[in-house]
Amino acid sequence: MSAGVGVDLENLWIRFGDFVAVRDANVHIKGGDFFSFLGPSGCGKTTILRAVSGFLDPSEGRVLIGGNDMKGIGPNKRPTALIFQNLALFPLMKVWENITFSMEIKGASARERRKRADELLDMIALPGQGDKLPSELSGGQRQRVAIARALCAEPDVLLLDEPLSALDLKLRQHMRTELREIQQRVGITFIYITHDQGEALTMSDSIAVMKAGVIDQIADGKTIYNDPSTAFAASFVGENNVFRGRIKQIMGNEALIETNRSGTLLARISTANQGRMKAGDEAMMFIRPEALALAGEGAAGSNIVSARVNHEEFEGNVFNIFMEGDGGKELKVSIPNVGQSFDDHTGQNITLQYATENAVVVPAGELAAE
Amino acid sequence: MKNLSFTRISIWIYLAVFFAYLLGPLIIMSATAFNSPSFPRMTPWECLTFEWFSALFQDERILNGIWNSILVGAGTVVLSVAMGLAGALMLTQIWPKLRATYYTIIIAPILIPGVVIGISTLVFWDRINRMLGLGADSFLSNGLFLTVIGQSTFIASYCMLVLVARLQRYDVALTEAALDLGATHAQAFRKVLLPFMRPAIASAAVLAFLASFENYNTTTFTFGEYPTLTIELAQKVRYGITPAISALAFIIVVLTVFAALANEASIRRKELVAMARKKATVEELESGKLRLPGFLSSNSAAVALVVVACATVAVAGTAAVYSPQQCIAEVQEQKRLETEQRIQELRRQRELRRQEQQQQQGETAPQAQPSGNNSGFGGVFNPGNLSGDSSSGEDASPTEEPPAGNNSGFGGVFNPGNLSGGDGGGSDN
Amino acid sequence: MPVFLKEFFKRNGTGMGSLMLALVLFWTIGLIILPQLSMLDFSFRPNLPPPEIGGPKDVYTLENYKYLIYGPEGGSQDYNAVDLKVFFRTLVAAVCVTIFNLILCYPIAYYLAQTKGNHIRIFALMLIIPYWINEILRAFALRIIFGETGVLNNALVGLGIFDTPFDFIRNDIALYAGLGYAYILLMIFPIYNVIESLDRNQIEAARDMGASWVKIHQRVVIPYAKPGISSGCTMVFMLSAGALAAPQILGGPSSLWFTQLIYQQFNDNSDWPQGAAYAVVLLVTCILLVLAVMRLFKVNMGDIGK
Ligand SMILES: Nc1ncnc2c1ncn2[C@@H]1O[C@H](COP(=O)(O)OP(=O)(O)OP(=O)(O)O)[C@@H](O)[C@H]1O
Ligand SMILES: [Mg+2]
Repeated sequence: MSAGVGVDLENLWIRFGDFVAVRDANVHIKGGDFFSFLGPSGCGKTTILRAVSGFLDPSEGRVLIGGNDMKGIGPNKRPTALIFQNLALFPLMKVWENITFSMEIKGASARERRKRADELLDMIALPGQGDKLPSELSGGQRQRVAIARALCAEPDVLLLDEPLSALDLKLRQHMRTELREIQQRVGITFIYITHDQGEALTMSDSIAVMKAGVIDQIADGKTIYNDPSTAFAASFVGENNVFRGRIKQIMGNEALIETNRSGTLLARISTANQGRMKAGDEAMMFIRPEALALAGEGAAGSNIVSARVNHEEFEGNVFNIFMEGDGGKELKVSIPNVGQSFDDHTGQNITLQYATENAVVVPAGELAAE
Repeated sequence: MKNLSFTRISIWIYLAVFFAYLLGPLIIMSATAFNSPSFPRMTPWECLTFEWFSALFQDERILNGIWNSILVGAGTVVLSVAMGLAGALMLTQIWPKLRATYYTIIIAPILIPGVVIGISTLVFWDRINRMLGLGADSFLSNGLFLTVIGQSTFIASYCMLVLVARLQRYDVALTEAALDLGATHAQAFRKVLLPFMRPAIASAAVLAFLASFENYNTTTFTFGEYPTLTIELAQKVRYGITPAISALAFIIVVLTVFAALANEASIRRKELVAMARKKATVEELESGKLRLPGFLSSNSAAVALVVVACATVAVAGTAAVYSPQQCIAEVQEQKRLETEQRIQELRRQRELRRQEQQQQQGETAPQAQPSGNNSGFGGVFNPGNLSGDSSSGEDASPTEEPPAGNNSGFGGVFNPGNLSGGDGGGSDN
Repeated sequence: MPVFLKEFFKRNGTGMGSLMLALVLFWTIGLIILPQLSMLDFSFRPNLPPPEIGGPKDVYTLENYKYLIYGPEGGSQDYNAVDLKVFFRTLVAAVCVTIFNLILCYPIAYYLAQTKGNHIRIFALMLIIPYWINEILRAFALRIIFGETGVLNNALVGLGIFDTPFDFIRNDIALYAGLGYAYILLMIFPIYNVIESLDRNQIEAARDMGASWVKIHQRVVIPYAKPGISSGCTMVFMLSAGALAAPQILGGPSSLWFTQLIYQQFNDNSDWPQGAAYAVVLLVTCILLVLAVMRLFKVNMGDIGK
């Protein structure tokens, strides 16, 4: 992969009047990476993207593309191309005219443009559809035309603002792979925005998790999933069970937590917080549903949880057991279906166990809304 | 059920009366263009004639007025569409706190009486002119300039309303996408926003031209050395009317109907094509074998358009060969006899009345004066302007005979060389 | 404000933004606001020959307004009865024309908006066509009809309803018919636009509950159409009060329209300040009247022009 053009955000603040949309963002995006911003709706993702593409001036801080400060450089002069949340295909231009708009601007002849359009149409698997209007295409096809239009401008950085959100589930999953393939083929930096953690995890080299204008954690997908650094990241990415409590004792990279409901439990301190937590701190412990397993009768120790079963459901590949949890939240256990027999536990108290390295402790903080 | 049909019938009667009120005057006026008396009237019908068209096309002032109207219209279209578009764009992005005030300001000219706009334009630019120390013949006191400026003041508001309606459906992201792909702001405007706005701009331009063409109230204060058609018409109508004006009106009516039908037909056709495309299968679309409906099929407006066109050609053809001379001569003879009789009777009556008045020795009622100024139109009536006939029927002086050489008024329009400068007769100056 | 401007230029580019701003400023300030202010200022000045303008005699005075009320100085009457009468007659007549138009147009607008079918488009065309034709010619057409030997008189006399021609012009009937005629479209369209967006189901629901037609209109349609009605009425009132062509062509010799007085001051008397003062009076009175009525019916300016 060629070393593409990197993007840096340095101490970036963006305000709308008194409202702070982005607070002190520091992000380093390596050239040629597929980088995602992941966060709930309204957290400031689009705002960051608009600052990178030049539609918004930062209130403070800098945006650097390929190491150059972009201050005072308009969107039409930046080496970026943006794929809009609603695609923004030009409704009155044919598909091929849409795709080669950036060439038209530079004064390319219709012949050249036609040729380039045909190449790009082949690439996005829409050969021979150049003479249609965008309104005559399906949603997925429009999506691909938008990508082709952006790529035609030969940007160093491609910015994508939730481009798949308008598609149905099947198409969305298909387009994920396709996008990733395209990115690997053209080798330029992709900055991708989504509130769908599945998209972020499957496609990205790196993910920034955002919450209300603040970037909580930047890391690759595995790290974010397994080793979240904040309560928000832990609860927003994937499903997670939370145990609230207070740190009783620190033992190297592990900690004993005095939980509110489930007694004292042992867990691993998340990497980012190692050495920063001390006994007596409010803390939260997270265990993924798939990391919990049924324990035998009478099991005991600091990695054993027991609770009353509210209800159960069968999902095909897993059995889900929902139990009374902490702070009004249900405790969920997913047991892989490998053909074993399965008893109904509703109303009973059951005991669960987990491996200590699968339980993560972070400082107490705000959880993501469901 | 009975009740329903009763409402039905009353609705239709109402509609009939309404449209009679609306269209009747135009139809009657058009008809008077073809009747030979030199005062526009439909009854009594004397002779079918086309001479009024010829009279119209020889009227220098009318022709000059049309030319001025076109000049003013062109200027007004350009200026008011530009200002209307800028105003509409501004409305979509102005600071929210200013929006209401701003909207009130740009919509106000629609409500300000045209007379007031005319006066304020005149006064304001006169003052600017003086402040700059320019003379009375400077550009700023030029009638064309003032008229365009004055008309644009309120026509721009109409344009703004038309444009803002379409602009509200515009996605700003389109402009941003264009910028993002490297276009300058001007390019984004020209290649993305402008094509989107084109239909609305076209409507606004047509609207602006029509509004400018027919404007009287504002123009009457600003026209200076450049009387527009409307001004000329108003002068003529105020100081004596002839069927030549009816002829002009008829031409405008026909053009209007023509334009309206053409517009309607093209809209209808677009709809039909769109429908056909929708119904077509994918293969049909891709193979390009889609059969589009013919121009006339199930398009009543197009049929009407063709009918009107044929009728126009037929009438023009008739006009070229038709000669009303015979008929006119007969009617003239008959009229002369009648008028002679009537004049004698009138004389007798007046004699009688004069005697009565002399007896009374009281105030002489002004309307008893035997001059031409005895009709309701008298306030602005200028007998000197008229050749023979007056707008009053009571004063039935003999109508002026049309010059003999003029056998086909309308034909003259088509081959001017044919015409031996025949004055349409009865028309003014 | 500067923030707004900065953002404005960022959004539109310096070149396009400046052009846009220049056009808007030229329109709002150069064509709308300053000329009106200039006319207002002018109306407070004496009528001077050009060389004396700006000279020592050019001082503010209320003379022009006094003239409207008291007439010429040393005149025989206490009040300027002629002009004042014309003024009030114009306003009253404009109100009458507006009401007449409303009554005439409401049913049509309702019918057009609530009926579906191809004939509606034909009706719409028939409505619009007369308005593509010159205002003067429309008045001229009515004059042909209402003239002493016009179609109407011929018909009435022919049918034996009158034995002598009736002078429609002297009696101002032609004028009112002409003013009404001139602004039909301006009344119909705003009302039509609003009623078109009224859900038919609402009317049907009301009818279902047994409401009479009168009741339905009174309780459902008219309240809904209020913005359109007020918009139409405002425009018709303002335009008929400010009409000049129709009164000049269709007005009787003895009954002037206020705009005709203004016209005379400008063109016949060459007394611009006096004309400007009359124009100001007309404008201000009309605006106050419209605002008062708007307040009465609780509609606001934003509804105009929709
Ligand atoms: N022009 C603006 N003026 C004022 N506030 C704004 C503006 N643009 C965005 N905001 C605010 O900034 C916050 C972040 O908006 P942004 O569009 O970046 O959200 P997002 O993360 O893209 O959300 P979504 O996933 O719904 O697209 C929101 O609370 C929004 O209301
Ligand atoms: Mg967004």
